[in-house]
Amino acid sequence: MPELPIWQFDILLLILVVLFAVVALSIRNLMGAAVVFGAYSFMMCLIWAGMGAVDVAFTEAAVGAGVSTVFVVSTLYNTSATMRSRPGGLAFKLFIGLVVTIAGAFLLSALPDFPKWGASDSPVNAKVAPYYILNTIADSHVPNVVTSVLADYRGFDTLLETTVVFIACIAIYSILRVDKAKLETGEPAAAPVPRYDPGDSLIVRQASRFMVPFMQLFALYVIAHGHYSPGGGFQGGVILGASLILLAISFDLKSLLRQWSEKTLMLLVAAGVFLYAAVGLACMFMGGDYLDYVFLDSILPGEKDMARSHGILLVEIGVGITVMFSMIAIHINLASNGRFDRGL
Amino acid sequence: MDYLGYILISTGLLFFLGTTIGLLRFPDFYTRMHAAGKGDTLSTVMILIGCICLVPMGLLLALKILLIINFIFIGSPTATHAMMDAGNKAGATPWRKDSK
Repeated sequence: MPELPIWQFDILLLILVVLFAVVALSIRNLMGAAVVFGAYSFMMCLIWAGMGAVDVAFTEAAVGAGVSTVFVVSTLYNTSATMRSRPGGLAFKLFIGLVVTIAGAFLLSALPDFPKWGASDSPVNAKVAPYYILNTIADSHVPNVVTSVLADYRGFDTLLETTVVFIACIAIYSILRVDKAKLETGEPAAAPVPRYDPGDSLIVRQASRFMVPFMQLFALYVIAHGHYSPGGGFQGGVILGASLILLAISFDLKSLLRQWSEKTLMLLVAAGVFLYAAVGLACMFMGGDYLDYVFLDSILPGEKDMARSHGILLVEIGVGITVMFSMIAIHINLASNGRFDRGL
Repeated sequence: MDYLGYILISTGLLFFLGTTIGLLRFPDFYTRMHAAGKGDTLSTVMILIGCICLVPMGLLLALKILLIINFIFIGSPTATHAMMDAGNKAGATPWRKDSK
């Protein structure tokens, strides 16, 4: 097979990325900017895939091009898609330009100090990466090195990343959530503007009803098969969340809220982080260090040397639960303007 | 098998070209969406089937691509329909021969 001209392809994609970024910034209609930003994310996803970082590409496609576009659109649904004129005149713009240029110059000046891309003698490739690649199978029986690095060797990082998702969800919740009792006494809510609702269309409803089970099945596969193929808790969780958001958009928010009440949602967001942390604590109770899955072998089923693999799976499930339900909670907050009753 | 792949991919690209021209040249929202929805779906499906023919891959991978094709075949026209419906409700007037 001839070698693929991968770098020409990369340069094309990079040009497109810069183009999309400029267009997204300069476009005046914010709905258009959201769509262009989705395209930007998708180009980034292709670049990651070209670099061989399929796990990252997966996340970028699901989060960047999928869910975050929905977030932006549902925000615009409750605000307005037209941009007001920017504050400040020419002097302000020049000042901003100067600041950005200086900051960029500093960043660029650090560029020669970096090792070359893919250089074999850079610290990362010379010391850390070979250790992971050589020892993953022996340590945890996980063929996908990314998963074992993410959830095992660097389990603390991932625990805190999951906590960051949790905190972000709590922050958005506490900013946007409106107390219903306060709402009634305060100013009356703006009259509902008649808008297009995709749930009116039978075709959209049936198509999404057909697609959602497959999406959820695939998401579970991504979580469970993350040991062997690209994927894991983050990706699978986002796909699960996206499937329910699709239901919320194509039917209505009420039917989603009937299944998942506000309380259940927030409890489950916390439960994912709790599961992750509890696995770590269980390791300590069994006599090991925090998140040292080897010590779980007596309580986990299966072979003794598979304990780390199973521990990773447990942790990934925790990540998946947190990510899935924070996506849904954020979407409901944005779409219903914090009222948790109806919306996009 | 190889030639079938080449033919399918080049036909798919041809349809993509038609889609693009239609998207740029058609007079109103509905006809433009029509070009985008139809041409886009068919050409993506053709290119993917061409990839199955061209690249030597196992049965499992081919099956996965067929699943993707299935999804595109359902998802893309549905999205087009939703946009058309939204345009109709937002009051986009269709183009007529005598309207200018």
